[in-house]
Amino acid sequence: MSSGMRATGTRDTVVAEPKASRAPVPVWLFFLLFVLLFWAMYEFDRRGGWFHSQVYTPYRSLAELQRYQPATGGISLERGKVVYETVCALCHNTDGSGKPNQAPPLSGADWVVGSPDRLIRIPLAGLTGPIEVKGQTWNLAMPAMGAALSDDDLAAVLTYMRSAWGNQAEAITPDQVAAVRAALAGRMQPYTAAELQAIP
Amino acid sequence: MNYGPLVFLAAFAALAASWFGFVLTPHLQIGHLQQTNTVPSGVSYPVARSGLAQQGLQVYRANGCAYCHSQQVAQTGTLFDLVLTNPGTNQASTVAAIQSINPRLSQPEVLEIIGKVPVHLLTMVSKSTAEAAAKTVNATGANAVPWIVPIGPDIQRGWGSRRTVAEDFLFDYPVLPGSQRIGPDLSNVGVRQPDPGWHLRHLYAPASVVPGSTMPPYPFLFEKKKVGRVPSPSALPLSGIATVEDGYEVIPKPEALALAEYLVSLQAYAPLFNAPLSVALGKPTSPTETNSISISGGDKAPSDISMP
Repeated sequence: MSSGMRATGTRDTVVAEPKASRAPVPVWLFFLLFVLLFWAMYEFDRRGGWFHSQVYTPYRSLAELQRYQPATGGISLERGKVVYETVCALCHNTDGSGKPNQAPPLSGADWVVGSPDRLIRIPLAGLTGPIEVKGQTWNLAMPAMGAALSDDDLAAVLTYMRSAWGNQAEAITPDQVAAVRAALAGRMQPYTAAELQAIP
Repeated sequence: MNYGPLVFLAAFAALAASWFGFVLTPHLQIGHLQQTNTVPSGVSYPVARSGLAQQGLQVYRANGCAYCHSQQVAQTGTLFDLVLTNPGTNQASTVAAIQSINPRLSQPEVLEIIGKVPVHLLTMVSKSTAEAAAKTVNATGANAVPWIVPIGPDIQRGWGSRRTVAEDFLFDYPVLPGSQRIGPDLSNVGVRQPDPGWHLRHLYAPASVVPGSTMPPYPFLFEKKKVGRVPSPSALPLSGIATVEDGYEVIPKPEALALAEYLVSLQAYAPLFNAPLSVALGKPTSPTETNSISISGGDKAPSDISMP
């Protein structure tokens, strides 16, 4: 210990080490620091989104982002496509061309682009017996595939059918589906083509 | 006085602070991201790119594409359109309501547009205006929905329909968002140019498909060889300034095919919770103009790129 102290003292006398002198910090530096801090807090509040992983720039907080979500209840073609591909495409094919001895085509079929009231009844109650589609007669049975779908989903999938693959017909709304569902009132029998023709 | 510990502590604090800011915070923020669902349709997003496209990402990286092309669309704000989806049955009052919210439409015009829903009644208005107008129209039994429309210079250029979010890169390694925009942004180049053949011709001779392009050609991704007994089915259909002499054909190497597949897979437009937008009914979901917009002079630059 004593030898160490001696060594330090010796070095001090030989080499003048640079020293930090005590000087007061200028006042303007504190002022600048506070201005910078205030600006940083302002920017953080404006753009930070409080570090939430879902909040990106034009939106300032999760609450604001939630107010900008698209209105639900409308018909979405994207949703209709998903429903079509899970429920209908197995028999009617993803491009609506149908499959021989399984299901008639939907693209360009009058039954699809024609009267909404007829079209909505087919998935809700099913269809059986001979039916003419695009000049060809089919004699098969379709179960009530749409009975378990919600009004929104059924409207979405029917709208998708009516607008995809070159079909061009007006959209079907959930209200129309709900009205037909109420009119059927638990009908268990599938429709026949002749019965559907009687509906406007 | 011995300043060693003090210098150590100061350096440690500086490094620790940057580690917290640049490593730990982002990891806590987005390190847990998973595949999510589009809103409101609930389709899984994003879907992993195909194997060939994943190889293409490595070609993209190796050729430094990210030095000139970004993959991040910025969004500066969000506005609303009002879209009529169902005119209802009370036509007279619906027409009156539509005229009250948009006085520029004359009565015959309104009668014409309500016959072909969905139709935009108002465009680029604020959220409160759109919601108030929707209330007015819906009170007549019609159905009008406010549609979310992201806005910003990048979206105006047609580079995307919404901002880029972290999920867009979920299955990419490394993530190459880029920072320079010497060429156009490529976030949605697969929507603008869905044809891999176009990308191959563009990589071989950019100016032959985009006149005035300043992009350098990448001929080393292709093989120029003599036509055999039968022309190769994968030879590029070249034309204009990119033609090769008779008896030769240009075949894309596997790297070029992978890169083209990757470029076609760049489609980041799905509506998400954190980047909401309304997808147009029966319309293309994203800009589909044939030529991407170049911000680097474009038509001013002479097409002086010499072909190999």
